[in-house]
Amino acid sequence: MAATKPNQGGASSVQVTDQKRDDEWSGLLVRVGRDRDRQAFERLFGHFAPLIRGFQFSRGGQSSAPEAADELVQEVMFRVWTKAPTYRPEKAAASTWVFTIMRNCRIDALRKSSRQPATDESLNVEDIWDDSQDEQPLVFLQQTRNQHAIAAGLESLPPEQSHVIEKAYVEGKSHSEISEELGLPLGTVKSRVRLALKKLQSTISR
Amino acid sequence: MIHHHPDNNLLLEYASGSLNWAHSLVVAAHIQLCPQCAAQLKLLNGVGGNLLASATPTPSLVCEEGDVFSKLMQRIDQQPETADTRCPDSDRGTRPVRDPIFASVPPVVRKLLADNPVLQWRRLSKGLKEARLKTGQSEREVSFHRIAPGSKVAEHDHRGREITMVLYGSFSDADGVYTPGDFLVREPGEVHRPTATQDQECLCLSVVEAPVALTGLIGKIVNPFLSIKPQ
Ligand SMILES: [Zn+2]
Repeated sequence: MAATKPNQGGASSVQVTDQKRDDEWSGLLVRVGRDRDRQAFERLFGHFAPLIRGFQFSRGGQSSAPEAADELVQEVMFRVWTKAPTYRPEKAAASTWVFTIMRNCRIDALRKSSRQPATDESLNVEDIWDDSQDEQPLVFLQQTRNQHAIAAGLESLPPEQSHVIEKAYVEGKSHSEISEELGLPLGTVKSRVRLALKKLQSTISR
Repeated sequence: MIHHHPDNNLLLEYASGSLNWAHSLVVAAHIQLCPQCAAQLKLLNGVGGNLLASATPTPSLVCEEGDVFSKLMQRIDQQPETADTRCPDSDRGTRPVRDPIFASVPPVVRKLLADNPVLQWRRLSKGLKEARLKTGQSEREVSFHRIAPGSKVAEHDHRGREITMVLYGSFSDADGVYTPGDFLVREPGEVHRPTATQDQECLCLSVVEAPVALTGLIGKIVNPFLSIKPQ
Protein backbone atom coordinates (compact mmCIF):
# COMPACT_ATOMS: atom_id res chain seq x y z
CA MET A 1 0.00 0.00 0.00
CA ALA A 2 1.43 3.33 -0.97
CA ALA A 3 0.17 5.06 2.15
CA THR A 4 1.44 2.52 4.63
CA LYS A 5 4.72 2.78 6.47
CA PRO A 6 7.22 0.10 5.59
CA ASN A 7 7.12 -2.68 8.12
CA GLN A 8 10.28 -4.56 7.33
CA GLY A 9 12.88 -5.00 10.00
CA GLY A 10 11.29 -3.75 13.18
CA ALA A 11 8.04 -5.59 12.63
CA SER A 12 7.58 -6.67 16.22
CA SER A 13 8.20 -3.27 17.80
CA VAL A 14 5.89 -1.60 15.26
CA GLN A 15 3.20 -4.07 16.20
CA VAL A 16 3.48 -3.28 19.86
CA THR A 17 3.05 0.46 19.33
CA ASP A 18 0.24 -0.15 16.83
CA GLN A 19 -1.52 -2.31 19.33
CA LYS A 20 -1.30 0.37 21.99
CA ARG A 21 -2.64 2.92 19.55
CA ASP A 22 -5.54 0.69 18.55
CA ASP A 23 -6.43 0.17 22.15
CA GLU A 24 -6.27 3.89 22.73
CA TRP A 25 -8.85 4.68 20.01
CA SER A 26 -11.08 1.83 21.12
CA GLY A 27 -10.84 3.01 24.71
CA LEU A 28 -11.77 6.55 23.70
CA LEU A 29 -14.76 5.29 21.74
CA VAL A 30 -15.96 3.36 24.77
CA ARG A 31 -15.68 6.52 26.88
CA VAL A 32 -17.65 8.51 24.31
CA GLY A 33 -20.38 5.89 24.29
CA ARG A 34 -20.55 5.24 28.01
CA ASP A 35 -19.81 8.67 29.52
CA ARG A 36 -20.59 10.96 26.55
CA ASP A 37 -17.05 12.19 27.15
CA ARG A 38 -16.44 15.23 24.95
CA GLN A 39 -12.70 15.36 25.48
CA ALA A 40 -12.37 11.78 24.35
CA PHE A 41 -14.53 12.62 21.36
CA GLU A 42 -12.35 15.60 20.45
CA ARG A 43 -9.27 13.38 20.45
CA LEU A 44 -11.03 10.84 18.26
CA PHE A 45 -12.03 13.64 15.93
CA GLY A 46 -8.44 14.89 15.79
CA HIS A 47 -7.31 11.43 14.76
CA PHE A 48 -10.07 10.33 12.40
CA ALA A 49 -11.12 13.56 10.66
CA PRO A 50 -7.83 13.91 8.72
CA LEU A 51 -7.87 10.17 7.90
CA ILE A 52 -11.44 10.31 6.58
CA ARG A 53 -10.50 13.29 4.42
CA GLY A 54 -7.34 11.56 3.22
CA PHE A 55 -9.33 8.45 2.33
CA GLN A 56 -11.90 10.56 0.47
CA PHE A 57 -9.31 12.60 -1.42
CA SER A 58 -7.73 9.48 -2.83
CA ARG A 59 -11.00 8.90 -4.68
CA GLY A 60 -10.41 11.82 -6.97
CA GLY A 61 -13.13 13.36 -9.09
CA GLN A 62 -15.85 15.72 -8.01
CA SER A 63 -16.42 14.01 -4.68
CA SER A 64 -13.05 15.22 -3.47
CA ALA A 65 -14.03 18.88 -3.26
CA PRO A 66 -12.72 20.23 0.08
CA GLU A 67 -16.23 21.27 1.18
CA ALA A 68 -17.61 17.81 0.40
CA ALA A 69 -14.80 16.17 2.36
CA ASP A 70 -15.52 18.37 5.40
CA GLU A 71 -19.21 17.51 5.10
CA LEU A 72 -18.41 13.83 5.00
CA VAL A 73 -16.23 14.22 8.11
CA GLN A 74 -19.08 15.95 9.90
CA GLU A 75 -21.62 13.33 8.91
CA VAL A 76 -19.35 10.40 9.84
CA MET A 77 -18.28 11.87 13.18
CA PHE A 78 -21.87 12.83 14.00
CA ARG A 79 -22.87 9.19 13.55
CA VAL A 80 -19.82 8.07 15.53
CA TRP A 81 -21.09 10.18 18.44
CA THR A 82 -24.64 8.88 18.10
CA LYS A 83 -23.74 5.23 17.67
CA ALA A 84 -20.85 5.09 20.13
CA PRO A 85 -23.00 3.42 22.85
CA THR A 86 -23.32 0.38 20.58
CA TYR A 87 -19.55 0.06 20.03
CA ARG A 88 -18.00 -3.12 21.47
CA PRO A 89 -14.18 -3.05 21.45
CA GLU A 90 -13.97 -6.84 21.55
CA LYS A 91 -15.95 -7.05 18.29
CA ALA A 92 -14.17 -4.54 16.07
CA ALA A 93 -11.12 -2.30 16.03
CA ALA A 94 -11.99 1.40 16.22
CA SER A 95 -10.76 2.05 12.66
CA THR A 96 -12.87 -0.80 11.27
CA TRP A 97 -15.93 0.45 13.10
CA VAL A 98 -15.39 4.00 11.82
CA PHE A 99 -14.80 2.62 8.33
CA THR A 100 -18.19 0.86 8.29
CA ILE A 101 -19.90 4.10 9.38
CA MET A 102 -18.08 6.02 6.66
CA ARG A 103 -19.04 3.43 4.04
CA ASN A 104 -22.69 3.72 5.08
CA CYS A 105 -22.54 7.52 4.91
CA ARG A 106 -21.19 7.31 1.37
CA ILE A 107 -23.92 4.88 0.31
CA ASP A 108 -26.54 7.14 1.89
CA ALA A 109 -25.23 10.21 0.09
CA LEU A 110 -25.20 8.37 -3.23
CA ARG A 111 -28.70 7.08 -2.66
CA LYS A 112 -30.09 10.47 -1.70
CA SER A 113 -28.65 12.08 -4.80
CA SER A 114 -30.13 9.48 -7.14
CA ARG A 115 -33.44 8.72 -5.48
CA GLN A 116 -36.42 8.24 -7.72
CA PRO A 117 -40.00 9.01 -6.74
CA ALA A 118 -41.19 5.39 -6.72
CA THR A 119 -38.42 4.15 -4.46
CA ASP A 120 -39.25 1.77 -1.67
CA GLU A 121 -38.33 3.61 1.52
CA SER A 122 -38.88 0.80 3.95
CA LEU A 123 -35.21 -0.05 4.30
CA ASN A 124 -32.42 2.30 5.15
CA VAL A 125 -28.72 1.80 4.73
CA GLU A 126 -28.27 0.38 8.22
CA ASP A 127 -30.84 -2.32 7.63
CA ILE A 128 -28.81 -3.63 4.73
CA TRP A 129 -25.28 -2.82 5.91
CA ASP A 130 -26.07 -3.97 9.40
CA ASP A 131 -23.27 -4.12 11.95
CA SER A 132 -25.40 -5.49 14.78
CA GLN A 133 -24.96 -9.00 13.44
CA ASP A 134 -22.24 -9.62 15.97
CA GLU A 135 -24.69 -11.23 18.34
CA GLN A 136 -24.16 -14.48 16.49
CA PRO A 137 -21.97 -16.89 18.43
CA LEU A 138 -18.92 -16.69 16.21
CA VAL A 139 -15.48 -17.79 17.15
CA PHE A 140 -12.95 -15.10 16.38
CA LEU A 141 -9.36 -14.42 17.00
CA GLN A 142 -8.89 -11.50 19.27
CA GLN A 143 -9.71 -8.48 17.13
CA THR A 144 -6.53 -6.45 17.58
CA ARG A 145 -4.41 -9.41 16.61
CA ASN A 146 -6.69 -9.93 13.67
CA GLN A 147 -6.39 -6.30 12.67
CA HIS A 148 -2.59 -6.47 12.67
CA ALA A 149 -2.61 -9.63 10.64
CA ILE A 150 -4.79 -7.91 8.04
CA ALA A 151 -2.42 -4.92 7.99
CA ALA A 152 0.60 -7.18 7.54
CA GLY A 153 -1.25 -9.16 4.86
CA LEU A 154 -2.17 -6.01 2.95
CA GLU A 155 1.43 -4.88 2.96
CA SER A 156 2.67 -8.15 1.58
CA LEU A 157 0.30 -8.21 -1.40
CA PRO A 158 1.78 -7.84 -4.87
CA PRO A 159 1.08 -4.30 -6.19
CA GLU A 160 -1.40 -5.40 -8.86
CA GLN A 161 -3.50 -7.08 -6.19
CA SER A 162 -3.38 -4.29 -3.62
CA HIS A 163 -4.21 -1.83 -6.40
CA VAL A 164 -7.59 -3.43 -7.16
CA ILE A 165 -8.35 -3.80 -3.45
CA GLU A 166 -7.66 -0.09 -2.93
CA LYS A 167 -9.76 0.90 -5.90
CA ALA A 168 -12.67 -1.10 -4.51
CA TYR A 169 -12.52 0.35 -1.01
CA VAL A 170 -11.14 3.83 -1.43
CA GLU A 171 -12.77 4.73 -4.72
CA GLY A 172 -15.88 2.65 -4.05
CA LYS A 173 -15.68 1.00 -7.46
CA SER A 174 -17.34 -2.27 -8.41
CA HIS A 175 -15.32 -4.97 -10.16
CA SER A 176 -16.76 -4.08 -13.54
CA GLU A 177 -15.96 -0.39 -13.06
CA ILE A 178 -12.40 -1.31 -12.12
CA SER A 179 -12.11 -3.55 -15.15
CA GLU A 180 -13.30 -0.76 -17.44
CA GLU A 181 -11.03 1.80 -15.90
CA LEU A 182 -7.89 -0.33 -15.95
CA GLY A 183 -8.70 -1.89 -19.31
CA LEU A 184 -8.48 -5.37 -17.78
CA PRO A 185 -10.87 -8.25 -18.41
CA LEU A 186 -13.44 -8.61 -15.62
CA GLY A 187 -12.15 -12.12 -14.92
CA THR A 188 -8.67 -10.73 -14.24
CA VAL A 189 -9.99 -8.21 -11.73
CA LYS A 190 -12.00 -10.92 -10.00
CA SER A 191 -9.08 -13.30 -9.82
CA ARG A 192 -6.78 -10.60 -8.42
CA VAL A 193 -9.33 -9.92 -5.68
CA ARG A 194 -9.67 -13.63 -4.98
CA LEU A 195 -5.91 -14.13 -4.76
CA ALA A 196 -5.57 -11.12 -2.48
CA LEU A 197 -8.25 -12.40 -0.12
CA LYS A 198 -6.74 -15.88 -0.10
CA LYS A 199 -3.44 -14.38 0.94
CA LEU A 200 -5.08 -12.23 3.64
CA GLN A 201 -6.90 -15.24 4.99
CA SER A 202 -3.74 -17.30 5.16
CA THR A 203 -1.97 -14.47 7.02
CA ILE A 204 -4.75 -14.32 9.58
CA SER A 205 -5.01 -18.03 10.26
CA ARG A 206 -1.26 -18.40 10.51
CA MET B 1 -27.29 -26.21 6.60
CA ILE B 2 -26.38 -23.62 3.98
CA HIS B 3 -24.46 -25.00 1.01
CA HIS B 4 -24.47 -22.12 -1.44
CA HIS B 5 -22.84 -18.81 -0.57
CA PRO B 6 -22.11 -15.53 -2.34
CA ASP B 7 -18.52 -15.65 -3.61
CA ASN B 8 -15.73 -13.53 -2.18
CA ASN B 9 -15.93 -11.06 -5.05
CA LEU B 10 -19.56 -10.28 -4.30
CA LEU B 11 -18.87 -10.06 -0.55
CA LEU B 12 -16.04 -7.62 -1.15
CA GLU B 13 -18.20 -5.38 -3.31
CA TYR B 14 -20.81 -5.46 -0.56
CA ALA B 15 -18.28 -4.66 2.18
CA SER B 16 -16.64 -1.85 0.24
CA GLY B 17 -20.03 -0.33 -0.55
CA SER B 18 -19.87 -0.59 -4.35
CA LEU B 19 -22.53 -3.28 -4.76
CA ASN B 20 -25.89 -1.94 -5.94
CA TRP B 21 -28.78 -1.66 -3.48
CA ALA B 22 -30.83 -4.59 -4.78
CA HIS B 23 -27.98 -7.10 -4.77
CA SER B 24 -26.78 -5.82 -1.41
CA LEU B 25 -30.23 -6.56 0.00
CA VAL B 26 -29.98 -10.25 -0.94
CA VAL B 27 -26.37 -10.49 0.24
CA ALA B 28 -27.39 -8.94 3.57
CA ALA B 29 -30.24 -11.42 3.95
CA HIS B 30 -27.81 -14.28 3.40
CA ILE B 31 -25.20 -12.93 5.82
CA GLN B 32 -27.84 -12.64 8.52
CA LEU B 33 -28.41 -16.37 8.28
CA CYS B 34 -24.85 -17.49 7.57
CA PRO B 35 -22.16 -17.33 10.30
CA GLN B 36 -19.50 -18.32 7.78
CA CYS B 37 -20.14 -15.34 5.51
CA ALA B 38 -20.64 -13.07 8.54
CA ALA B 39 -17.11 -14.01 9.61
CA GLN B 40 -15.81 -13.33 6.11
CA LEU B 41 -17.53 -9.94 6.17
CA LYS B 42 -15.67 -9.10 9.39
CA LEU B 43 -12.40 -9.71 7.59
CA LEU B 44 -13.52 -7.58 4.64
CA ASN B 45 -14.60 -4.75 6.94
CA GLY B 46 -11.21 -5.06 8.61
CA VAL B 47 -9.56 -4.49 5.24
CA GLY B 48 -11.52 -1.23 4.96
CA GLY B 49 -10.52 -0.30 8.50
CA ASN B 50 -6.88 -0.86 7.71
CA LEU B 51 -7.04 1.22 4.55
CA LEU B 52 -8.68 4.01 6.54
CA ALA B 53 -6.06 3.76 9.29
CA SER B 54 -3.24 3.94 6.74
CA ALA B 55 -4.72 6.78 4.65
CA THR B 56 -2.56 9.89 4.28
CA PRO B 57 -4.02 12.39 6.79
CA THR B 58 -5.36 15.56 5.18
CA PRO B 59 -6.26 18.55 7.35
CA SER B 60 -9.35 20.59 6.54
CA LEU B 61 -8.76 22.76 3.52
CA VAL B 62 -11.85 24.86 4.08
CA CYS B 63 -11.38 26.20 7.58
CA GLU B 64 -9.55 25.52 10.84
CA GLU B 65 -9.88 21.98 12.13
CA GLY B 66 -11.20 23.44 15.39
CA ASP B 67 -14.00 25.21 13.51
CA VAL B 68 -15.08 21.99 11.85
CA PHE B 69 -15.17 20.38 15.28
CA SER B 70 -17.18 23.17 16.93
CA LYS B 71 -19.69 23.12 14.07
CA LEU B 72 -20.09 19.41 14.70
CA MET B 73 -20.55 19.91 18.44
CA GLN B 74 -23.20 22.56 17.75
CA ARG B 75 -25.08 20.05 15.66
CA ILE B 76 -24.75 17.45 18.39
CA ASP B 77 -26.02 19.90 21.02
CA GLN B 78 -29.04 20.78 18.93
CA GLN B 79 -29.92 17.14 18.62
CA PRO B 80 -32.04 15.73 21.45
CA GLU B 81 -30.01 13.08 23.26
CA THR B 82 -31.26 9.90 21.68
CA ALA B 83 -28.36 7.60 22.18
CA ASP B 84 -28.49 4.77 19.73
CA THR B 85 -28.91 2.18 22.43
CA ARG B 86 -31.99 0.54 21.00
CA CYS B 87 -31.85 -3.18 20.76
CA PRO B 88 -31.22 -4.01 17.11
CA ASP B 89 -34.46 -5.95 16.87
CA SER B 90 -36.72 -3.73 18.92
CA ASP B 91 -38.13 -1.84 15.98
CA ARG B 92 -38.18 -4.75 13.64
CA GLY B 93 -40.94 -7.17 12.98
CA THR B 94 -42.99 -5.93 15.88
CA ARG B 95 -46.06 -6.36 13.74
CA PRO B 96 -46.85 -10.04 13.71
CA VAL B 97 -46.50 -11.69 10.36
CA ARG B 98 -49.27 -14.24 10.38
CA ASP B 99 -48.24 -16.37 7.46
CA PRO B 100 -45.89 -19.13 8.74
CA ILE B 101 -43.97 -18.94 5.48
CA PHE B 102 -42.55 -15.62 6.75
CA ALA B 103 -41.88 -16.80 10.31
CA SER B 104 -38.11 -17.27 10.18
CA VAL B 105 -36.93 -14.84 7.53
CA PRO B 106 -33.76 -12.83 8.30
CA PRO B 107 -34.16 -9.39 9.99
CA VAL B 108 -33.66 -7.37 6.81
CA VAL B 109 -36.51 -9.24 5.09
CA ARG B 110 -38.64 -9.03 8.23
CA LYS B 111 -38.22 -5.26 8.19
CA LEU B 112 -39.16 -5.17 4.54
CA LEU B 113 -42.30 -7.20 5.28
CA ALA B 114 -43.23 -5.15 8.34
CA ASP B 115 -43.38 -2.06 6.16
CA ASN B 116 -45.14 -3.83 3.31
CA PRO B 117 -47.99 -5.55 5.13
CA VAL B 118 -49.92 -6.05 1.94
CA LEU B 119 -47.76 -7.61 -0.68
CA GLN B 120 -49.43 -7.67 -4.06
CA TRP B 121 -49.18 -11.27 -5.11
CA ARG B 122 -49.88 -12.06 -8.70
CA ARG B 123 -50.05 -15.43 -10.35
CA LEU B 124 -47.36 -15.94 -12.95
CA SER B 125 -48.19 -19.53 -13.78
CA LYS B 126 -49.75 -22.53 -12.13
CA GLY B 127 -48.06 -22.89 -8.76
CA LEU B 128 -45.98 -19.72 -9.04
CA LYS B 129 -46.83 -16.37 -7.49
CA GLU B 130 -44.79 -13.22 -7.40
CA ALA B 131 -44.80 -9.99 -5.40
CA ARG B 132 -42.54 -7.21 -6.63
CA LEU B 133 -40.96 -4.57 -4.51
CA LYS B 134 -40.52 -1.02 -5.62
CA THR B 135 -36.83 -0.31 -5.47
CA GLY B 136 -36.68 2.77 -7.64
CA GLN B 137 -34.18 1.00 -9.86
CA SER B 138 -34.89 0.66 -13.50
CA GLU B 139 -32.37 -2.04 -14.27
CA ARG B 140 -33.21 -4.56 -11.54
CA GLU B 141 -36.35 -6.21 -10.32
CA VAL B 142 -36.58 -7.31 -6.69
CA SER B 143 -39.34 -9.77 -5.86
CA PHE B 144 -40.62 -12.54 -3.66
CA HIS B 145 -41.62 -15.79 -5.30
CA ARG B 146 -43.89 -18.45 -3.82
CA ILE B 147 -43.83 -21.86 -5.42
CA ALA B 148 -46.62 -24.27 -4.45
CA PRO B 149 -45.53 -27.68 -3.05
CA GLY B 150 -44.25 -29.91 -5.81
CA SER B 151 -44.74 -27.25 -8.49
CA LYS B 152 -42.37 -26.80 -11.35
CA VAL B 153 -41.50 -23.35 -12.53
CA ALA B 154 -41.53 -23.05 -16.30
CA GLU B 155 -38.08 -23.67 -17.70
CA HIS B 156 -36.39 -20.39 -18.33
CA ASP B 157 -33.02 -19.02 -19.13
CA HIS B 158 -31.63 -15.72 -18.01
CA ARG B 159 -30.61 -12.91 -20.24
CA GLY B 160 -29.34 -11.09 -17.20
CA ARG B 161 -27.87 -12.25 -13.94
CA GLU B 162 -30.41 -13.59 -11.46
CA ILE B 163 -29.68 -13.88 -7.74
CA THR B 164 -32.05 -15.97 -5.64
CA MET B 165 -32.09 -16.74 -1.96
CA VAL B 166 -34.31 -19.40 -0.42
CA LEU B 167 -36.24 -18.11 2.60
CA TYR B 168 -38.58 -21.00 3.35
CA GLY B 169 -39.07 -24.55 2.13
CA SER B 170 -36.81 -25.81 -0.60
CA PHE B 171 -36.56 -26.30 -4.32
CA SER B 172 -34.37 -28.30 -6.61
CA ASP B 173 -33.11 -28.10 -10.14
CA ALA B 174 -30.71 -30.15 -12.23
CA ASP B 175 -27.80 -28.99 -10.06
CA GLY B 176 -29.13 -29.80 -6.62
CA VAL B 177 -31.44 -28.99 -3.75
CA TYR B 178 -31.59 -25.52 -2.20
CA THR B 179 -32.74 -24.90 1.35
CA PRO B 180 -33.24 -21.74 3.49
CA GLY B 181 -30.25 -19.43 3.34
CA ASP B 182 -28.90 -20.87 0.10
CA PHE B 183 -27.71 -18.18 -2.28
CA LEU B 184 -27.74 -18.83 -6.01
CA VAL B 185 -26.34 -16.81 -8.85
CA ARG B 186 -27.51 -17.65 -12.36
CA GLU B 187 -25.50 -16.04 -15.08
CA PRO B 188 -27.04 -15.04 -18.42
CA GLY B 189 -27.67 -17.99 -20.71
CA GLU B 190 -28.11 -20.59 -17.99
CA VAL B 191 -31.33 -22.55 -18.32
CA HIS B 192 -32.98 -24.08 -15.31
CA ARG B 193 -36.29 -25.38 -14.11
CA PRO B 194 -36.75 -25.17 -10.33
CA THR B 195 -39.20 -27.55 -8.67
CA ALA B 196 -40.46 -26.98 -5.14
CA THR B 197 -40.20 -29.88 -2.70
CA GLN B 198 -43.41 -31.94 -2.42
CA ASP B 199 -44.30 -31.34 1.20
CA GLN B 200 -43.85 -27.58 1.51
CA GLU B 201 -44.47 -24.32 -0.20
CA CYS B 202 -41.24 -22.51 -1.12
CA LEU B 203 -40.49 -18.81 -0.65
CA CYS B 204 -37.60 -17.07 -2.37
CA LEU B 205 -36.24 -13.57 -2.63
CA SER B 206 -34.78 -12.75 -5.99
CA VAL B 207 -33.18 -9.99 -8.00
CA VAL B 208 -33.35 -10.19 -11.76
CA GLU B 209 -31.29 -7.96 -13.96
CA ALA B 210 -32.95 -8.16 -17.36
CA PRO B 211 -36.07 -9.72 -18.82
CA VAL B 212 -36.34 -13.46 -18.28
CA ALA B 213 -36.84 -15.50 -21.43
CA LEU B 214 -38.75 -18.77 -21.38
CA THR B 215 -37.66 -21.60 -23.60
CA GLY B 216 -39.66 -24.45 -25.08
CA LEU B 217 -43.36 -24.80 -25.80
CA ILE B 218 -44.50 -23.99 -22.31
CA GLY B 219 -42.42 -20.86 -22.51
CA LYS B 220 -44.39 -19.69 -25.52
CA ILE B 221 -47.57 -20.00 -23.49
CA VAL B 222 -46.39 -18.51 -20.21
CA ASN B 223 -43.97 -15.99 -21.59
CA PRO B 224 -46.31 -12.98 -21.69
CA PHE B 225 -46.90 -13.36 -17.96
CA LEU B 226 -43.27 -13.69 -17.11
CA SER B 227 -41.78 -10.93 -19.15
CA ILE B 228 -40.44 -8.80 -16.38
CA LYS B 229 -40.62 -5.10 -16.83
CA PRO B 230 -39.02 -3.05 -14.14
CA GLN B 231 -41.55 -0.89 -12.33
ZN1 LIG C 1 -22.71 -17.89 3.45
